[in-house]
Amino acid sequence: MAKLNVNGRVVEVNASPDTPLLWAIRDHVGLTGTKYGCGIAQCGACTVHLDGVPTRSCGVTLGSVTEAQKIVTIEGLSPDGNHPIQVAWRALDVPQCGFCQSGMIMAAAALLAEKPRPTDEDIDAAMTNICRCGTYNRVREGIHRAARGLAG
Amino acid sequence: MLDRRALLQSALLVPLMADAALAQAPAAPPPPTIAGTGGNGTLSGFLRIATDGRVTLFTTTSELGQGTHTAHAQIIADELGCALEAVTVTVGQPEPALRLAGVNEMYTGASFGIRQWAPRLRRGAAAARTVLVQAAAQRLGVPADSLSVAEGRVLHAASNRALTFGELAEAAARLPLPEMPAMKPASERRVSGSNAPRADIPAKTRGAATYGVDVRLPGMLFAVARLPEVFGAELDSFDPAPALAIPGVVQVVPIPRGLAVAATTTWAAMRGAEALVVRWKATPHDNLDSAGVSARLRAALEQPQAQRPRNDGDWEAVRAAAARVVSATYEVPYLAHAPMETENATVRITGDRAEIWAPTQHQDWCVRDVAAALNIPPANVTMHTTYAGGGFGRRLHVEVVAQAAHAARALGRPVQLIWSRADEFAQGYYRPAFAAKMEAALDASGRVTGFNIRGAGGSVMYDYRPWLFRNPNFMDPFALQSVTDTRYRFGQAFRAEYARVDLPPKVWLWRSVGSSQYGFFVESFLDEVAAAANKDPLTLRRELLAHDARALAVLNLAAEKGGWGTPLPPGRHRGIAYMEAYGSLCAEVAEISITRGELTVHKVTVAYDCGDVINPDTVAAQMQGSVVWALSAMKHEAVTLKQGRAEQRNFDSYRIARISEAPVVETHIIRSGQPLGGVGEPGVPPLAPAVCNAIFAATGKRVRQLPLAGQDLTRA
Repeated sequence: MAKLNVNGRVVEVNASPDTPLLWAIRDHVGLTGTKYGCGIAQCGACTVHLDGVPTRSCGVTLGSVTEAQKIVTIEGLSPDGNHPIQVAWRALDVPQCGFCQSGMIMAAAALLAEKPRPTDEDIDAAMTNICRCGTYNRVREGIHRAARGLAG
Repeated sequence: MLDRRALLQSALLVPLMADAALAQAPAAPPPPTIAGTGGNGTLSGFLRIATDGRVTLFTTTSELGQGTHTAHAQIIADELGCALEAVTVTVGQPEPALRLAGVNEMYTGASFGIRQWAPRLRRGAAAARTVLVQAAAQRLGVPADSLSVAEGRVLHAASNRALTFGELAEAAARLPLPEMPAMKPASERRVSGSNAPRADIPAKTRGAATYGVDVRLPGMLFAVARLPEVFGAELDSFDPAPALAIPGVVQVVPIPRGLAVAATTTWAAMRGAEALVVRWKATPHDNLDSAGVSARLRAALEQPQAQRPRNDGDWEAVRAAAARVVSATYEVPYLAHAPMETENATVRITGDRAEIWAPTQHQDWCVRDVAAALNIPPANVTMHTTYAGGGFGRRLHVEVVAQAAHAARALGRPVQLIWSRADEFAQGYYRPAFAAKMEAALDASGRVTGFNIRGAGGSVMYDYRPWLFRNPNFMDPFALQSVTDTRYRFGQAFRAEYARVDLPPKVWLWRSVGSSQYGFFVESFLDEVAAAANKDPLTLRRELLAHDARALAVLNLAAEKGGWGTPLPPGRHRGIAYMEAYGSLCAEVAEISITRGELTVHKVTVAYDCGDVINPDTVAAQMQGSVVWALSAMKHEAVTLKQGRAEQRNFDSYRIARISEAPVVETHIIRSGQPLGGVGEPGVPPLAPAVCNAIFAATGKRVRQLPLAGQDLTRA
């Protein structure tokens, strides 16, 4: 029985150690905000924070994560849904279909934590998530907006 | 979802009128894309006003991220006279009790969401407002015309009295609904026509929106499909043992076209589906590859048989008399939709009833196919439409829903059936691979005197609605989409032909459908014609559209806002293209540079005339999305065939454009007051030609084949 620290709560997961963290989160822990898009760490829809580091959870096995490591999913990013990135996303109507946006928001939040005033080049380098609806213009604008808010 | 009990409890229920009742109201004419079915319109919805004053619209349009639900709420709020926040939009379902005479299908497509629904919504809301006012007049003992409506209340200003919609709903429900209610003039619209925040956004920023794959039911199993690799191959034999050996795997069951591995978790089911040993029967096309597809398309460009929906003037004579003939052949590959959420559906069977949860664009076909799979009446099937992780036409394909029904019956438990990403790429239903040969005749002064085009490729309509082809002369409206009905005037002769090529992969509606390839073909070729005639590409198009003020306005606005003809920084180049699709006119100017053969699209300026606008910011979002969608396809995307199967299985081999490649998109909307046009698709076709024409300006190289990946873009 593996133990995971998800969104500040320790949960027991009865799954084989080779289970990708993505599926442990979705099907065992029961948090469905984290999405399956490709299963090969290409699209970023499954991005969570692992000790603050943006991580594609389909590429991490349950067995490689310890109880000491803090996993944060979209549901735990902020207590009230008001992380600056989430606020900016709502202000700009960033999502379209929204399926990639949990991962997009988690990647953007991690970028801001590392670089409070990211440049366009920083955004290009950090935000490699796929959005099939083409919300990229607004993702960029949303990150800059959230950064301005944090700085302000 | 429409709760029948809630429906009966509701005080005022207003059916949204079918097309017949709308005949006198201004509405967009049915476009050719729904030939054979759309003339009857789609299934209508209901507007409900409850005794607590809440207004609920049971719409028929799925929210795919295109913002339709918010736009619908804006229209209702405006026409009814209540706050936007008081209106909830939810997807109804195609149950017989909700069907109106003469309507037949409930689906989301053809950029219909607003252009087909706005008149119905306005009319329904106006009817509701009329009976609410009548009820208030009776209750207050005053003439109806002494009352006004605002913020969900009917006001009698003279006596300073007001009644809320909720207080009036029951009495209003007993009054007959007017057939032709008076609608507010456009000048009185406040909510509709201005930006409103999208209602679906907050949940999507918290991971709280429920997509198809997020549905959870007590006792449900997860299943993953195992489908053939070679297109159309049939199951020969299989050994379930390696799948059943995986912990969590419960059972292997047959489904249409293959097998499903059911397990207690999605991951176990995925592993099981991979572990399964399956033998597929041989097909006649086990050795087909992309070169073979291309050869078939190019042969069809020369074959004698073709349909000829346009044949104005005598092309052969014009060609013979021409001072010069420009000619070129173009080709594009199969394209996948690759929505972020792979195909899936959840089905629960209870006795002789069934429920479906699916991210779908076609509720009616979901119900139809599940009813057929389970041999129960469609009335016994309940449809729950979830949010969809992308639509783009893909989710008009509902095969996975019937597969889920078969699996649920075999397992005796509710089941969520998912296709893997690999199957999302490998199972066909692509934008067809297509080729076109074009010729333009020019006179000695460089004026276009005739145009001849032959397109060749798979018929989308044949795979989408095969029954239409019982008429042997039926012409697939997608097969020359945006060509046969072009506003361009090509002089004395215009011939347009289509040669159908049936190939193993099924083809399907892919955002902007036939216009997606014809935008590239025609608008790139016109650039060639302009170069041959030594004309500016904008000038040539102005000549061909000189008779059409509306089209000229769109073209000129894109040119003006895109800085056409103005100096550019060193290394920057522009291209322009124009196309009309789904009732909307779109022109785009692309600004690019090429460094060491590497293309950068810096900016795309879009001019757009969709008649009128409900939510300008949503239009801008759709233009941004359309540009990125088309840019990604133009640069990277192709499904290639080898040994009868698709070579692409995931995003590593089917590349999608990332944020670093996204240009700035600037949208300029023209409110021409013409009938409403679509918004989701028409921004796609002009992008590839605008960029490729800019590549010609930069390099002197003409791009006649997509994608650009692998092509040498260094200066000729």
